[in-house]
Amino acid sequence: MTHALATDVAAALVARLTAMADDELILGHRDAEWTGHAPLLEEDIALANIAQDEIGHAVLWLELRSQLDDSDPDALAFFRDAGDFRSSRLVELPRGDWAFTLLRQFLFDAHEAELLAALSGSSYRPLAEAAGKAATEEVFHLRHTGLWLERLAHGTDESAARIGAALERLAPYLPQLTEPLPSDSVLERAGVLPSMEAVGRATRTRIEGALAAVGLDLPQVPANPGGRERHTEDLVTLLIDMQAVARADPEAEAW
Amino acid sequence: MSAAPGRPSGDGPRWEVFKQDAAGKPHQAVGSVHAADAEHALLMARSVHARRPAAVSLWVAPADAVLSVTAEQLAAAGDEGAAPAHGDTEGAPQRYLVFRKSSHRRAITFVDHVGEVTAVGPWAALRAAIVAFPEPPALAWWIVPSERVSASPDYEAAAWFEPARAKTYKQQSAYGTTAPTRRRRQG
Repeated sequence: MTHALATDVAAALVARLTAMADDELILGHRDAEWTGHAPLLEEDIALANIAQDEIGHAVLWLELRSQLDDSDPDALAFFRDAGDFRSSRLVELPRGDWAFTLLRQFLFDAHEAELLAALSGSSYRPLAEAAGKAATEEVFHLRHTGLWLERLAHGTDESAARIGAALERLAPYLPQLTEPLPSDSVLERAGVLPSMEAVGRATRTRIEGALAAVGLDLPQVPANPGGRERHTEDLVTLLIDMQAVARADPEAEAW
Repeated sequence: MSAAPGRPSGDGPRWEVFKQDAAGKPHQAVGSVHAADAEHALLMARSVHARRPAAVSLWVAPADAVLSVTAEQLAAAGDEGAAPAHGDTEGAPQRYLVFRKSSHRRAITFVDHVGEVTAVGPWAALRAAIVAFPEPPALAWWIVPSERVSASPDYEAAAWFEPARAKTYKQQSAYGTTAPTRRRRQG
């Protein structure tokens, strides 16, 4: 089975898959930090499920990348330094409180749902198929995070204050999450990617609609500037934690 | 209702969870979750009780809406148990879902859904259920007002249950760490 791509298209697709995988992997790790600490036992399990889903999506994208450049998904996850990651800063921020975690997950899910729906029409079959598979899980994520958005916004004075504070903190990071990569235009011309500008607009519309439904506005604030080469210091400390076991014994056969 | 012992009341009330494994099979009581409301309880039920293995539908009902009676309790109550004294005999008839445990076979499930009766009050519903579903003899009955039961949305069934079907549940032995560890220890 061949899915021959021109060299420049393949390189651009590697960059796109890396950005998608790194977002999923880092967010999955942040969510997993709640394991054993969530406010309710049932939510502890439910958030761990979401974390596993997102890390599973990272595996999907890294395996697609591997088909293009023979890279090793485990090596990319556990032996890459922060400067080589292409995650967005939104997913790198520390987990914060429950409102911050669930709102960030909601914002990410809103974007991922729009992105996956668009990718399922990709001319690159392996990408279209993987997107279709991952999209099913996002419907349930949005159910869950949307429920918390509503409960926190309409709950107590404290819960409303916390969701408001989380929104203020996260809003500047939202534009970077949806911003096209410089090389995405190559993929759009080849039919491999939909219009990423359009995906970004659809994401924003979806988020604004969900916020309005619970009486919240997306703050009109300047975007936190810079591309995906620029990271938060929080990514560095996260990677020390996430990669410690693998780096302690790089020759391990199984772990 | 009050929270179960040892659980802070902030966890919300307890909800019984009923899982259906496949079309045509009964919903079965598989355990419970704590949640703020019915919608939250369904989401928690999916995450806690249906991530693995596969399911096709979930119901939840507040634990305090369940009338739970064992065969021993029925026998001890004797004629009294069958008499209207136990029943709420006023008000409009309503629909009750009937669940029954009929086997001592070890299982992770408790009662199975067997059908529905219409009655005035849960004890009257139980008496109707005993008549309507005589075989096999029940070891325990659950009677739940239909209006207190919430179901997972059919239109989202794929999102709720398909991912579990596509993934393999791995026992820890599947990761193959034992042999390399042993080799290492043996030098």
